[in-house]
Amino acid sequence: MNQAIRAVNLLSRVTGVIAALMIVAAVAITCQMIFLRYFLNASTVWQTEIVVYLMIASTLLGLPYVQQLKGHVNVDLVPLMLPPVPRKLLLILSLLAGAIVLGIMAFYGGEITYLAFSKNWTSDTVTAVPLWIPYISMPIGFGLFTLQLLVDMHRLIKTPAVEINIEIGGH
Amino acid sequence: MDPLTLGLIVAFTTIAVLFSGVAVASGLLIVAAIFLVAFDGARSLELIPEILFGKLDNFALLSIPMFILMGASIASTRAGADLYEALHRWLTRVPGGLVISNLGACALFAAMSGSSPATCAAIGKMGIPEMRKRNYPDGVATGSIAAGGTLGILIPPSVTMIVYGVATETSIGRLFLAGVIPGLLLVGLFMAWSIYSTWKSGAGDALSAQSYSWKEKLEVLPRVLPFLAVIAGVLFALYGGVATPSETAAVGALLCLLLAIVIYRMTDMKALWTMLRDTTKESVMILFIIAAAGVFSYMLSSLYITQAIAEWIGTLDVNRWVLMAYVNLFLIVAGFFLPPVAVILMAAPILMPIILGAGFDPYWFAVILTINMEIGLISPPVGLNLYVINGIAPDIPLKTILKGSAPYVACMVLAIIILSIFPSLATWLPDLLMGPAIS
Repeated sequence: MNQAIRAVNLLSRVTGVIAALMIVAAVAITCQMIFLRYFLNASTVWQTEIVVYLMIASTLLGLPYVQQLKGHVNVDLVPLMLPPVPRKLLLILSLLAGAIVLGIMAFYGGEITYLAFSKNWTSDTVTAVPLWIPYISMPIGFGLFTLQLLVDMHRLIKTPAVEINIEIGGH
Repeated sequence: MDPLTLGLIVAFTTIAVLFSGVAVASGLLIVAAIFLVAFDGARSLELIPEILFGKLDNFALLSIPMFILMGASIASTRAGADLYEALHRWLTRVPGGLVISNLGACALFAAMSGSSPATCAAIGKMGIPEMRKRNYPDGVATGSIAAGGTLGILIPPSVTMIVYGVATETSIGRLFLAGVIPGLLLVGLFMAWSIYSTWKSGAGDALSAQSYSWKEKLEVLPRVLPFLAVIAGVLFALYGGVATPSETAAVGALLCLLLAIVIYRMTDMKALWTMLRDTTKESVMILFIIAAAGVFSYMLSSLYITQAIAEWIGTLDVNRWVLMAYVNLFLIVAGFFLPPVAVILMAAPILMPIILGAGFDPYWFAVILTINMEIGLISPPVGLNLYVINGIAPDIPLKTILKGSAPYVACMVLAIIILSIFPSLATWLPDLLMGPAIS
């Protein structure tokens, strides 16, 4: 169990680093595109599409890491006002509900990725990117996000109600 | 079921779910999933990942991570402190020079960063201790920075304006320009209140001049040059026809990153990673809310709720300004609890037809909406800027910060009234530089 938790935490950090590098890559490619177009009058073909996919992938792959950093904003007004035990139950419930919905999204995200792969779907542009490549960030991102939510829930269950720092919730 | 009744049920469920402490984006997905399954059948779950992906598949959104990177790299340097120091030395002769230079630094910093808490933190770290040392009342010292920080989302570049542009299909370049004069109007109102309030509290001596020699004044200038160069570079790229607003963000991000690494010598890997991590954290958080809010509004319109509300309001025979007052009230209340991007994305599809139908200008409305969101940033219970200030000056009780920022909320309400009387304050500059809007 402990090893599984460590593995999830590690994977979340790895995808987080990848997400950060994707943002940097998107900046670099966009600047290259502007340079080519404005200063060299060259036409640009693939850049616009690729940078958008990089941004989407960075967002989806970054989800578990941001959960680990407690970076998803929430409204903690009600949990803060509750006594410790109901607060703990409410926070566990909110993590569980999030995990269920994101688990479903990971499953259907995987299904559409498989469809795109087996039927060779491509984007309807000149570049014709095989769509399974951008799509695969959905099962990975949502799936790992679900696991990270469960890991956080597990830690919450083990923490005595009075010691719960509100940050452990969805923050 | 009647779509309006259903709309009410959705509204109450959303409030209940979001108040449970679940992350805002996950909460929106949970509510959307529940209602889609209940009214469109379990098969509609299959569509959610594809809809979410589609909502993110938009070139204009690319500017969000980039403007965040731009703000984060500038915020991780001494640039804010330098800017503050320069304005301070040059403006000390003016009565109330210190608070004026603080608010001015907030406005200039906002022009580099699309984020309010970042602006607040960058200027407040220097400005608040300095103002307290010079006997400014605690309420003015904290309130002015909290309020000045909110300018981050009004003065371009602004993440809020980009999201509005994406949600309503309006021109982002025009939205940016629309925010400039109202932003300056707010700065003016904030300054007037700060000086009046300091004078009235009997700390009038704080307003008196402190002098710096010409040498001291001149030696600080080179330190703000890189800052001004970046602003000039970004403006040139944006309005000189080099790049679209979304692409400009990449130029700005690259320039600020170079500025941080080359001029401010931020070569330590750890510092670079911290900055990159903060960028990723904020960007992922905002884009996930945008995607989830997209799924949420898909649910609303697939159950005919959006259409029913718009139709219902259309049948109400009210004066357009009464309608605008209700819209403002709704936005302020929503802004008290939810982050600006979530409010804009959920409200824009419903409000837009109503606003246009009543003959209001969409660019003018963007400014009004943004000022409403600024009010939420410095009001309880979740006013983000208040907590940033609390982190900078932990010995000032939150109650004093709240009391100090309340008059600035009044300034913002006053600005909304002024803009309602003179809508051209928002529309004049974009019309002048870009020609009249085609709509």
